[in-house]
Amino acid sequence: MSKGKIAIIGIGEVPTRNMPERTHWDIIYDTCMEAVRDSGLHKNDIEGVISVTPQAQPKIAAELSFGKLPEELGLKGCKDAVSVNAGGASTSNAVRLAEQWVTSGLAKAVIVHHVTLHSTIPVPDLINFFAKAGVDLQWEYLYGTTYNIIMGLMANRYMYESGCTPEQMASVVTALRSWAAKDPNSFFYGKDVPSVEKVLASDMLNTPLHKRESNVLGDGGCAMVIVSAEDAKNMKRPAAYKLGDSVRYFSGTCVMRDFNKVAEGFRVTAKEAIAQAGITKDDVSLWNCYLAYPLAHPMVSELLEVAPAGMGGKYFLEGRMSFGGDIPWSTIGDAPGRGHTGSGVSSACYVETARQLMGKAGERQVKNCKYVYQNAGGGSGFNNIATIWGKEIK
Amino acid sequence: MEFEMTKPIPETQPWSEKFWEGTKQCKLLIQVCRDCKSKIFYPRKFCPECWSGNLDWIEASGKAKIFTFSTAYSMVEPKFMDELPYTIAYVDLEEGIRMMTRIVDCKPEDISFDMNVEVLFHERNGYFLPYFRPTGKK
Repeated sequence: MSKGKIAIIGIGEVPTRNMPERTHWDIIYDTCMEAVRDSGLHKNDIEGVISVTPQAQPKIAAELSFGKLPEELGLKGCKDAVSVNAGGASTSNAVRLAEQWVTSGLAKAVIVHHVTLHSTIPVPDLINFFAKAGVDLQWEYLYGTTYNIIMGLMANRYMYESGCTPEQMASVVTALRSWAAKDPNSFFYGKDVPSVEKVLASDMLNTPLHKRESNVLGDGGCAMVIVSAEDAKNMKRPAAYKLGDSVRYFSGTCVMRDFNKVAEGFRVTAKEAIAQAGITKDDVSLWNCYLAYPLAHPMVSELLEVAPAGMGGKYFLEGRMSFGGDIPWSTIGDAPGRGHTGSGVSSACYVETARQLMGKAGERQVKNCKYVYQNAGGGSGFNNIATIWGKEIK
Repeated sequence: MEFEMTKPIPETQPWSEKFWEGTKQCKLLIQVCRDCKSKIFYPRKFCPECWSGNLDWIEASGKAKIFTFSTAYSMVEPKFMDELPYTIAYVDLEEGIRMMTRIVDCKPEDISFDMNVEVLFHERNGYFLPYFRPTGKK
């Protein structure tokens, strides 16, 4: 798409927790106001609002779709509001829409935000939603499949072909949680990091997935303010510039997903986004991967050529992707480390990408963070979107 | 806390009903395009390769190999808990089609990659779901 046309100049986020007393609108107020203040703009400078559609929350999804946010927050300069839904790929598409609004002159400053409250959804509804979302109701759901099983099918085959061991797979949880333990917005902030032995000792949900290799659902939200790259530069504030964007579609139905096509898609999108940015793979300071489950991380580290083929699991087990390791990787710990906020995990990853490039990541700050690879995918993995973000624009 | 406990039946389309009718006669049918000769799964209204509506059906041999599998021990929907543990797999039919299915009639620990399996049909509320079991196992 475009190179260097937009930048994130403000971010806001609330901690991921189960706090039913914190309403959707509490989170929306707190995240959006923080992002606008962080940007240095006035609320009335915001000319567009794009919501990442909350999954399984029809009431707030309808309120946001039908334009309540600008009115609620008194955004007097707002020209339009919309919701975007592509599951976990929603945020990438919200950013693309913001790019279109900014570059076409429709809006000078746009808020992209997300909110989710899993703790207020009745458990039967939650279970039913996650059993069916991204799963075909005629050809898959009948057999009693779940998101966990879909991941198990992929991981089992990967382990069979690559020789990745259960210990290596379990070490991904250790790596992701090591970042999460240092992240004030994580569900697991300040908590003990589980050892490989502890992960493997947890109950087997479905082969090869142990309970500690699954996700904890949480409530959360975040927001970012997007302006043109030129405006960001003129504002002389810390910013994250979008430099590259590439995508491939795989399949809507899990069983139709050609594993080779997925692998090629991850490789090609990374290469295309990196080339658009005018950098090389070695220039990437942080691989901020959003994969939702730990089991996909070793495979993707190989596809991105961060680890040699067949060595992804070994790299994780050696602690190279952990906090303090030599390969900065998923510095909020992806969904297993952050707590799963539905389509909001990718929003949180984008905010983290901006945070790292702005130099605001505290203990987790990656040294000399200049370029970040940020990916996202929707549904049960129907696509992969690869983006490159930079600290500055040439 | 009330859970929906009815086990699901296929949410069919008019063009997939022939497939499910076939399963009632223990036949695993595959849609084919008469024009471009593509074998199509899952069934479509038009051929996804050439958009022809000139579609037909052939009966598959019912023989397949396991591409991948995962055995569930917990954390499935309450409506499926009475069937735990169960193994879900992707199997590759001899005809070049990949399907999701259940592997039955063997212990989970005996299931392996590339294992030869054959189709059988499992009745659920008037529908017959294609399951697979190790070849030669009765």
